[in-house]
Amino acid sequence: MLFACSRHDNDFIRGSEGFRLMAAAGESIVLDGVEKTYGGANGVRAIAPLSAELRAGEAVSIVGPSGCGKSTLLRLIAGLDAPSRGTIRIGTTPVSGPVPDIGIVFQRDLLLEWRSVLGNVLLPAEIKRLAGLETRASELLQELDVAGFAKSYPWQLSGGMRQRVAIARALLTRPALLFLDEPFSALDALTRDQMNVLLQRLQTTQHVTTLLITHSISEAIFCADRVLVMSGRPGALLDDIRVPFERPRRLAVRETPEFTAIGRRIREHFEKAGVLVG
Amino acid sequence: MRARALAAGMLWPLLSGAFGLALWQGLVKLFEVPVFLLPAPTDVIETIVDKWPYLLSQLAITVMAAGLGLVMSVVLGLAAGAAIAGSRFVDRILTPWLVVAHAIPKVVIAPLFLVWFGFGLQSEMFFVVAFTFFPVIVNTVTGLKSADPEQLLMVRAMGATRLQVLHKIQFPSALASICAGIKLAVTLAPVGAVIGEFVASNAGLGHLLIRAVGDTDTSLAFAAVTVFSIFGVLLWRAAEWVERLVLPWHPSQRETLMLRDATT
Repeated sequence: MLFACSRHDNDFIRGSEGFRLMAAAGESIVLDGVEKTYGGANGVRAIAPLSAELRAGEAVSIVGPSGCGKSTLLRLIAGLDAPSRGTIRIGTTPVSGPVPDIGIVFQRDLLLEWRSVLGNVLLPAEIKRLAGLETRASELLQELDVAGFAKSYPWQLSGGMRQRVAIARALLTRPALLFLDEPFSALDALTRDQMNVLLQRLQTTQHVTTLLITHSISEAIFCADRVLVMSGRPGALLDDIRVPFERPRRLAVRETPEFTAIGRRIREHFEKAGVLVG
Repeated sequence: MRARALAAGMLWPLLSGAFGLALWQGLVKLFEVPVFLLPAPTDVIETIVDKWPYLLSQLAITVMAAGLGLVMSVVLGLAAGAAIAGSRFVDRILTPWLVVAHAIPKVVIAPLFLVWFGFGLQSEMFFVVAFTFFPVIVNTVTGLKSADPEQLLMVRAMGATRLQVLHKIQFPSALASICAGIKLAVTLAPVGAVIGEFVASNAGLGHLLIRAVGDTDTSLAFAAVTVFSIFGVLLWRAAEWVERLVLPWHPSQRETLMLRDATT
């Protein structure tokens, strides 16, 4: 299972290279009636039919309880797993196997301990055999305020700094989509606020389409242009809320009545579904 | 400052060693133990000095057999380990053989090596391989299989080929474990070589040892054992040094690294 990459996948990489280099402004992502059931007809349904569109350059948050199928969604969008029904498109390219053009940031930073910070950021370039990305790697480290640590090893960095490096790594090859899977939930509250500010600054400078999965209602609103509210298993879309605040945003925006109103609307969905009992 | 700390750390082990040798020397002289029964440390040292070129030439033969066997073991062990870790099929086919092969008491079958590979270096070398391949394979397999599943998922999402996954993630993750296996093999290799020489050679420290005991030249036997032990310790030190070079990032090596940074 670890070695499931076939020759077909390599052709896929080569074929999409030109497309990747042009996709600097991000691509639209379309989920069309996506459904996933594990283990045959009577198996566990992870995702109920789900349709959504992420416009190019848009930042979208998905907020939902544990078990809302977010890990499944990640595997589907990353092409590591095929949907039982429906299709996923990144730009005009349907996702049909591994290696769609996305950068992923996981809850754990997953930095390779044996590589320097710069070496970690350059990993995707090595794997995709893309040359000449050293300058971009340095620029990204600069933008994420960890430029001074390029030659350090991961164990010499704090948790927040490690996650910044992981974000730089995800952005290196200018992916069409930045997929963040609960990226800040292992960080302390202050660091997390700081990373929220940093992320929405990045969305402005990198123009990358962003999909953020989180359990934090306030993080979901703060970092996004749109919040998708998901139900528990099987994951289904409960609401699609536009977030009107201008960018760049300051943390103080969280205390405005508009912000709290959106938070309340999301919370009420969860209360109705029995996920939250207030 | 650092030299003084080092000297303080060495003081007690050195004193302890000197005391043990002095006690040995005193008892042998006091009770006038005949030299063929138990030579005094001074006798042993005298023999080492007298026969130094000869001892060295015999050690070289043992080192050659141990070294060649070890290299073969590591190459074979890494390749077999990678194959076993990479394919469940190979695992099922190969692992039972390995376990059985390791369970066979090798000292007992040493004479068979004489029959199969003849007299001399070749026999010794293969005996060293038989002695050392198991820890290398086992530790390689364990290491390769213990790579972080999420890191594997991550590079697969980046589109890594099977070879890239092995090269970029699995092998570096396994390196600490592989080093542990090689260190075990390093301690076993000289022992294997000497046993090989007992049986299938007319040269080397092992052969020298057998002959010295046969001639009741106990001083020479002790001299051979001493040289052999010093060689074993040096080999272990070398393995540790290589490990530190290869694994500077590993938690097991970090403390020394930080101490070095702090003192230079």
